[in-house]
Amino acid sequence: MGGEAGASVIELSGVEKAYDSGELTVQALRSVSLVIREGEFVAIMGPSGSGKTTLLAILGCLDRPTQGSYALVGEEMSTLDETRRAHVRGERIGFVFQAYNLLPRTSAYRNVELPLIYAGVPARERRSRVLEGLSEVGLSDRADHLPTQLSGGQQQRVAVARALVMRPSVLLLDEPTGNLDSASEEEVLTLLQQVNREGATLVMVTHSNEVAERASRIVRLADGAIVSDEPVQRTLALGAR
Amino acid sequence: MTAAREYWRIALGALRTNWFRAVLTALGVVIGVASLITVTAVSDGASHEIAASIQRLGANVVEVDGEFISVGARQSATDRTITPGDVAEIAKLPEISLVAPHQDIESQVISAGRHQTNTWLVGMTPSYASVYNQRIARGRGITDADQSFGREVMVLGLDAAARVFPGQDPIGKTVRVGSHEFEVIGLQARRGQLADENLDNRIFVPLRVVTRVLIGGVNVVHLSVRAASASEVTPAEDAMSEVLLRRHALPPGYPEDFSTQDQASILEEGQAASTTFKALTFALGGISLLVGGIGIMNMMLVSVHERTREIGIRKSVGASPFMVQAQFLIESLVLSTLGGVAGVLAGIGAVSAIGSLAGWETLINLPSLVIAFAVALAIGLLFGYYPARRASRLDPISALRYE
Repeated sequence: MGGEAGASVIELSGVEKAYDSGELTVQALRSVSLVIREGEFVAIMGPSGSGKTTLLAILGCLDRPTQGSYALVGEEMSTLDETRRAHVRGERIGFVFQAYNLLPRTSAYRNVELPLIYAGVPARERRSRVLEGLSEVGLSDRADHLPTQLSGGQQQRVAVARALVMRPSVLLLDEPTGNLDSASEEEVLTLLQQVNREGATLVMVTHSNEVAERASRIVRLADGAIVSDEPVQRTLALGAR
Repeated sequence: MTAAREYWRIALGALRTNWFRAVLTALGVVIGVASLITVTAVSDGASHEIAASIQRLGANVVEVDGEFISVGARQSATDRTITPGDVAEIAKLPEISLVAPHQDIESQVISAGRHQTNTWLVGMTPSYASVYNQRIARGRGITDADQSFGREVMVLGLDAAARVFPGQDPIGKTVRVGSHEFEVIGLQARRGQLADENLDNRIFVPLRVVTRVLIGGVNVVHLSVRAASASEVTPAEDAMSEVLLRRHALPPGYPEDFSTQDQASILEEGQAASTTFKALTFALGGISLLVGGIGIMNMMLVSVHERTREIGIRKSVGASPFMVQAQFLIESLVLSTLGGVAGVLAGIGAVSAIGSLAGWETLINLPSLVIAFAVALAIGLLFGYYPARRASRLDPISALRYE
């Protein structure tokens, strides 16, 4: 698996998140501290309402913590303005969502190209990077297909290509196989493991133990707090016993 | 910026997806721009026509009218206050180059055979023809000899001639005015309209015949003069007033028994009504542009709402608020630009249709096209701003979760 001795990519310390919904204040995260190093594949698990999606949103600069600090590759994120956060999302973070979130009526090629456009990459360079990205996920021959012309697994692979095209510091995955049948799930998980072996740092929210087993480390949340954080047994088991 | 071209592509793509809605939305702008251009072209044409009429009908003309005043004594409609002595003295003023006393009968029935018509009769001298640039199409005009001998001869306006001599050559024929018979000696070249008056329905006879024979006396009601130059028009009016006040020696407290008016201001009066009309139509054009703008805003708000999830996706892959705003602003700008271009074309089409159907003189000038187009763009920016701003401020997480 990835380099356990890598530099830290994500450092959370004392992160709190509270939502105000009228008179009620919901405490979604309580004093979360977490370090994720380069090359790790971390699964975040927990029952619904445990705060795992909120945690992923904060990691992805889609949301801000109410307290505590979040550093991505050493840079503090919680104090950046919206424009800087947009740049960080585009250039240092890749998202893969359960619902694929490809732009409708837009070809696979154009979808993968989006982050490059927003990052201001010149047209000629964009072309080679998009084609390279599509070939990495095995969809070179589907570049001109619209999302509706692709299977779920293919759509999710396009989403992975789009998330990777900027060579981000970390890939954030929100139930990436939640909408897929078991064959497509295997296809996508194999791809993610391969991407991880090639050096990418992955953080994946999932409720499925089977999916989480594919990661190298599992962080469990309950009621907004980390209740366990341990390497996947399989790797240890193989080494120790 | 390399991304600018991409924003255009994205905006055009979004409009193409909903092209019918886009066309309907742009229609408001099309109508607004077209009506602004049409109104401007029609009213510019009218102004141009009036300026041309001033040149054609005699520039720098001042008209003095004797006024009927009844204070203390009774006056009849035949009282005329401008005497030959007044005319002679005014002719000596340095500000004035030509004087033409004339006596008009504004409603005079004339007949020839079984045809008759109502005309405007002018008793004139040859200087009248000079002051008003009167030209003769056929035959001859009124001469000094006609005037001195009091010959009963007549020049006809073309419309008056056509009514009493339909399909005939009037020259040499006889026209009856009351119990008097006049020989037609000439036809006036076509003059057109002066404000509401049809100048081709006028007929002309020597002044002496009107004052001595038709009415009696030597005085006149009207005196038309030509000022030496455009800058002398107002001084000429003042100098004439001074002469008339002195010569008429009106008792104290007595109102002036004459009025002066330059021809340009008569034309402007005629134009005042059309100016009101122009302002009204212009306002309507402006309102339809405004409604077009509201249409754009409405469509853009619907579009932002429908594409909430798309906005969330774009933000998640690195679109900054500015970029999202630029994308939607370009979309409304494209809409209003297309509307503006179509409006300019529709306006030019409407103007040429009006020109050929109604026969009005129209004048399209480039600045008015540019202004109408620029207003359309400004409307697009103005009414696109709020929806674009709203899109740029959407919270990325709730936008992504929006179904």
